[in-house]
Amino acid sequence: MLAMDKTKAQAWAHGFYVHAIGLTRRSPTFVAGLCMVLFFLGVAIFAGVIAPYSPTESFSYDILRAPSDRFIFGSDGNGMDVFSRVIYGCRYAFGIAVPAGLIMVGIGLPLGLIAGYKGGLLDEVLLRTLDVLRAFPTIILALAVVAATGQSLISMVVVIGVLDSPIFARVVRAEVLNLRASTFVKAAVAMGNPAWRVMVVHILPNAILGATAQLPMRMAWAVRISATLAFIGVGIQAPTPEWGAMIRQGAEYVITGEWWAALFPGLALMLLVLGFNLLGDGLTDILDPKRRGVGK
Amino acid sequence: MGGQTARIARFIGVRLAVSAPVILGIVFLTFMLIRMGGQDPVAMLAGPMADEAMLNALRAQLQLDQPLLAQFANYMVRIAHGDLGVSWQGGIPVLNEIRHLFPATLELVLLSVALAALIGIPIGMRAATKPNGWFDQISRFVSLAGFSMPTYWMGLMAILVFFYILRWAPAPMGRLSMEVAAPAVVTGSILVDALLEANWRAMGSALAHLALPVACFTMLAAAPMIKQTRAIVIEIMGSDYVRYARANGFSAATVRRMALRNAATPLLTFLGSELTSLLAAAALIEYIFSLSGLGQWGLNAILLGDFAVVQGYVLTLALFSMAIFMVIDLIVMLIEPRN
Repeated sequence: MLAMDKTKAQAWAHGFYVHAIGLTRRSPTFVAGLCMVLFFLGVAIFAGVIAPYSPTESFSYDILRAPSDRFIFGSDGNGMDVFSRVIYGCRYAFGIAVPAGLIMVGIGLPLGLIAGYKGGLLDEVLLRTLDVLRAFPTIILALAVVAATGQSLISMVVVIGVLDSPIFARVVRAEVLNLRASTFVKAAVAMGNPAWRVMVVHILPNAILGATAQLPMRMAWAVRISATLAFIGVGIQAPTPEWGAMIRQGAEYVITGEWWAALFPGLALMLLVLGFNLLGDGLTDILDPKRRGVGK
Repeated sequence: MGGQTARIARFIGVRLAVSAPVILGIVFLTFMLIRMGGQDPVAMLAGPMADEAMLNALRAQLQLDQPLLAQFANYMVRIAHGDLGVSWQGGIPVLNEIRHLFPATLELVLLSVALAALIGIPIGMRAATKPNGWFDQISRFVSLAGFSMPTYWMGLMAILVFFYILRWAPAPMGRLSMEVAAPAVVTGSILVDALLEANWRAMGSALAHLALPVACFTMLAAAPMIKQTRAIVIEIMGSDYVRYARANGFSAATVRRMALRNAATPLLTFLGSELTSLLAAAALIEYIFSLSGLGQWGLNAILLGDFAVVQGYVLTLALFSMAIFMVIDLIVMLIEPRN
């Protein structure tokens, strides 16, 4: 019995190994991105175990200490451990990216589906909204809206998700427009299926893959923009261990050579955003090698 | 050639008619957004000592006590007369400030986009010759890494390395060193003005102050350029007419030359959208390096609740992007033999 289990496990491990090698060959970017995102996700989940100190514990005798054995990333202007703060910052990054991504999908998917399939007024409104967004500096829009709706984490997530959903809708819309002209959709319509059924049962499953590839890139954007807002001083404020707020706090010391308080949170931010971007890039590659490089 | 001129005139006319509602929408959106925001500019202007009566008087003076739509109508009437209002913080007419600050931002953006195109387009083309080859993988990784870096953080690190450690760059404050006399203002761009009066000292100082911000901005701008060029060239190389040319026995070099000419149009369009999105992104780089350009001014105005400035800033960005897209589409229309 045990022997069989072992061979089964071996077979499974072998299969996993073969798949992993194949995937790495096909798209090294995808695997690299996946590993990076999973790494940060792990750090976010086990932040309490990894971090040596509480992210907001202030050591008043250790202000702006250079990296050492005690504070491996140094300590910041409040005497807080930069390493612990960077670790806990992962939670804020995922805490923003994941719900914002869900909001984007929740609004963008149906919007793009209906606009692409039905056309007409909704489509026109969507396209004009995109025109306005294209000419409007997103950061300004986000700034104004966050300032208006209050500076809580929840309002920031909602604003980011809603602001980006038309862009997601555009991707879905483009997929739907392609599919609408295909024979199988025409056949489904000819069979007398109602419009909602054609959309949900016939078009949606085929459009969803291309849209999925966009999701990591949009999440990368969400992480970036929330950190940018915090850096400017809108949204999450210090001493919350959020990377953008940490860079803001560390920025004033850079010019006098105390670099660690700004360097490490920025590095973490860059690596996670890079991970999401690589993941999305690789995913687009795997799903459709011909159509890479579209989108912002 | 008369037909050509009429065609251009009609194109511009149609484009203006289509853009007008979009611009109006942007102005309206900005106007309402900042007024519905949580900031109270009156309280900020009047200071902590002001009592309710003073606040109300100031509010009436700034016409902020009127209904929103009436305020908007008022604003539109004044725009029609070429009056963008006055900055509440500085007391300077917004239009003057825009004239004064726009060249600084344009300098930064144009230099960066030009450099990014010079670097990004050849790399993208090279990457496209062998998709998923080693050069492609490396260039993709590097460009995505550059793209993923937060601009302001890149700027900070550049200041750390090139100003604090190496002492190569001047202090990240302003567009000129203090001891250098600024050239007489003709265009507002210090580079151009210094060139006009052959003031090499000012030119050198301005270039030194621009070097780091332009380098950071180029990194940001080059990544999408590489990606887009690669995608465009791959698509063209896989098209039917290229396959047909190959089948006809043209040499690889000839085929590539023919194909690349067709990449010009989509590349140009992409360059336009790059230019407009970077103009908005310039705010953070200007903020880090204290370049006192349009973006820094607009950013501060948002944080301070200086409504007229925010409106003027967003309007400038919108008009600029509209103009860029119009010029680019016009060029595309003229060079495309298919139209």
